[in-house]
Amino acid sequence: MTSPFRSYPGMVGGLLLLIVGVAALFGPWLAPYDPQQFHPQVRLQGPSAAHWLGTDQFGRDILSRLLHGAPSTVFFGIGATLLGVAAGTIIGVIAGVAGRWVDSVIMRIIDGFLAVPDLLFTLLIVTILGGGMGHAMLAVAVAFTPGMARIARSAVLSIRTREYVLAAVARGESSVYIVGREVMPNAMGPIIVEATIRVSFAIMIGATLGFLGLGAQPPSTEWGLMVAEARQFMFRNPWMVVVPGIAIALAAMGFNLFGDALRDSLDVRRSH
Amino acid sequence: MSETNNQTAAGSAGTTPPILEVRDYSLTYGGPEQGVKVLDDINLTIRRGETLGLVGESGSGKSSLAWAIMRYLPALATESDGAILLSGENLRSKSQYQMLDIRGRRIAMVFQDPSMSLNPTLRLGEQLSEVLIRHRGLSLQQAWKEGEAALARTGITRPAEMMKRYPHEASGGEKQRVVIATALACSPELIIFDEPTTALDVITARQILQLFETLREETDVSALYISHDLGLVSRIAPRVAVIHRGVIVEQGQCAEVFRDPREAYTRRLLAALPRPDRWLGVDQPATGAAPLLETQALNVRYGGPSLLDRITGSAKQAVDGAIDVALGVRPGELLGVVGESGSGKSTVAKVLSGLQDFRGTVRFDGRGFVRRRDFDRRYRRAVQVIFQHPDSSLNPRQTIGQILSRPLKLYGLVPAAQRPAKVAELLEKVLLPADYARRYPHQLSGGEKQRVAIARAFAAQPRLVICDEITSSLDVSVQASIARLMVGLQAETGTACIFITHDLNLVRQLAHRIAVMQHGRLVDLFDTPDAEAPERHPYTRALLEAVTPPPVVAEAPVDDLEGTGP
Repeated sequence: MTSPFRSYPGMVGGLLLLIVGVAALFGPWLAPYDPQQFHPQVRLQGPSAAHWLGTDQFGRDILSRLLHGAPSTVFFGIGATLLGVAAGTIIGVIAGVAGRWVDSVIMRIIDGFLAVPDLLFTLLIVTILGGGMGHAMLAVAVAFTPGMARIARSAVLSIRTREYVLAAVARGESSVYIVGREVMPNAMGPIIVEATIRVSFAIMIGATLGFLGLGAQPPSTEWGLMVAEARQFMFRNPWMVVVPGIAIALAAMGFNLFGDALRDSLDVRRSH
Repeated sequence: MSETNNQTAAGSAGTTPPILEVRDYSLTYGGPEQGVKVLDDINLTIRRGETLGLVGESGSGKSSLAWAIMRYLPALATESDGAILLSGENLRSKSQYQMLDIRGRRIAMVFQDPSMSLNPTLRLGEQLSEVLIRHRGLSLQQAWKEGEAALARTGITRPAEMMKRYPHEASGGEKQRVVIATALACSPELIIFDEPTTALDVITARQILQLFETLREETDVSALYISHDLGLVSRIAPRVAVIHRGVIVEQGQCAEVFRDPREAYTRRLLAALPRPDRWLGVDQPATGAAPLLETQALNVRYGGPSLLDRITGSAKQAVDGAIDVALGVRPGELLGVVGESGSGKSTVAKVLSGLQDFRGTVRFDGRGFVRRRDFDRRYRRAVQVIFQHPDSSLNPRQTIGQILSRPLKLYGLVPAAQRPAKVAELLEKVLLPADYARRYPHQLSGGEKQRVAIARAFAAQPRLVICDEITSSLDVSVQASIARLMVGLQAETGTACIFITHDLNLVRQLAHRIAVMQHGRLVDLFDTPDAEAPERHPYTRALLEAVTPPPVVAEAPVDDLEGTGP
């Protein structure tokens, strides 16, 4: 496989992911201040030498809060996506391999779920389970499952009728070998790409839930929550909204661009 | 506009100016430095009413030349000097806007697959009359009338009715007739035929060829006929140009080129053509032996009404893939199975390789099987299958070594430590270098991939190999080598073989007996030498007549063709 960083979007996406990744892994140690420490003299300031990205209504350093919020925001996105992809792939592969009535029953149920928009679905689940990061993550994962199931199923279906799979069936291979060695390695491409792109959606839905007060709770530094809290002070210090907003956008864009580049490079015919 | 006859070709003795003249034309894809040269210094001339056959294998640049003449090239194509003249006018100096007026009116094109070249959402009549309205300014009614007349000329019996049909309501042959009628509608000066019969069945292809000959006599149109089939070109074109890697290696009268080919490449192409009179197969096995595999009253039915259909009462018709097929293969024998697409020959292959549910009985080596589930690993090891498309029959994520060692492991034939050596041996048997074991399928050419698929089948040490159209997606020269390889392996291992194909010329070179299938039934089964006997089934005779005999070559090259008559 050629490196996905060769292409222009892949390079930009990779760079953004690097920044986001460093922030997520080392953010708390890089932060110049304690994210909860008040500086009453310098409330609602724009960028300055002391506070690079300005301060909020209590005079807390926005850069420090951003860096502290990075791990929860990014891992929320990745965690929710992994759960959703795992569940969706298992369901989709079962439907695609089993075929006939099993496929029909599973897919009709999935279609029913797909009719509800992701965000509404998530809100519904969070309302039933109650707020908080853990529940929000689970809700996003459940909301992602039907879509991933569909993609996994279509990938499996397009592979299942290939002649190398028929050859394996004709050889008398076990179903486990056929699914695990012949079908899955070739069906993973579209699933991985979709998962990468979905991390960006998960981050945005997580931020939205935080904004609506259903995800992370104050005094958490989750980025969506930061935007929500900043809303009242938007006109006195726009930096409070803009900075976490841009951070969300950059993280989402990084995963999105990288996902696109990954799809191109996973195409075996262009590599090796 | 079109009367520019002042530019007669230099040195031509004829009074008519050439309709098409390509002079010193070269074409490169990609930049001028690292680009790939697809056409190199092409020179050809077609006069009024003349047909030039352009023969080449895949990747030879023959289609690129067609597109260059149509002035429809991708953005990354760079043309060097040279001219493409249509009745003396240089098409290279025309703008794309001017070309819109020329395409369809002065140059028309007929493509390979009529089901792809017609718009499925428009009636055939609309597609045909559109050309007349666009280029001849007719009203819709006039165009519709003209269209009907044009269809009638192409031998369609009820043209008025055909005009109202959609493409899916017409057969492949009818669709190709509509495409040809559309091409001829504006009486163009030149028609480019790009393999117009390749996607059609033998008998339909034959009819389309006859239509082409009739229309050419009637209309005096010039034609560039592109094909990979030398035999076919020799029948319809008096002159032929052989193209190889973008270079026209040989050009001249068909009879001369075929009688006395000057270039090694042409000779190789001619030698690769299957000739029914030249036996390639192994010696006839003992005829008295009990059959190795036998089918009794084999039936396959596709797509019956489902439970939901029965509840809602929608009448979905089942299609019979095979009806009461009774076949037998003797040990060491090569049984050819021929028929058009949809005749059920692939259905039989699927049943025998355990991929398709069936009713009836399959007997193999003294054991009987009545359901697909009955086929156990012992049977599956003994009966191996090779598929048509080399591109999709190998898992793209496994190396050749992994692919070939799998049957060795699955059937417990070779202990793990000795597998690499066995893989190397298998590769050697199919004439591939041993270091291919580390490669991935996409790093191999089509013919090489098919060799790997053959090696995989023979790795299981089978007693019967089913070859489902294994040569039909390959170039002629590769086809011949694959057929020879199969026969060589058969001679070495004594394996029986069911060879499914639509190429009668080829199967008559290889098979001891030939089974003919039509509409799911086995209609004829005979020993190969009796192919032309008068008691053959009418359908067999029709198939044999439809096949283009290979061009007569004065002296068959006797390179590595051994083998005695059956």
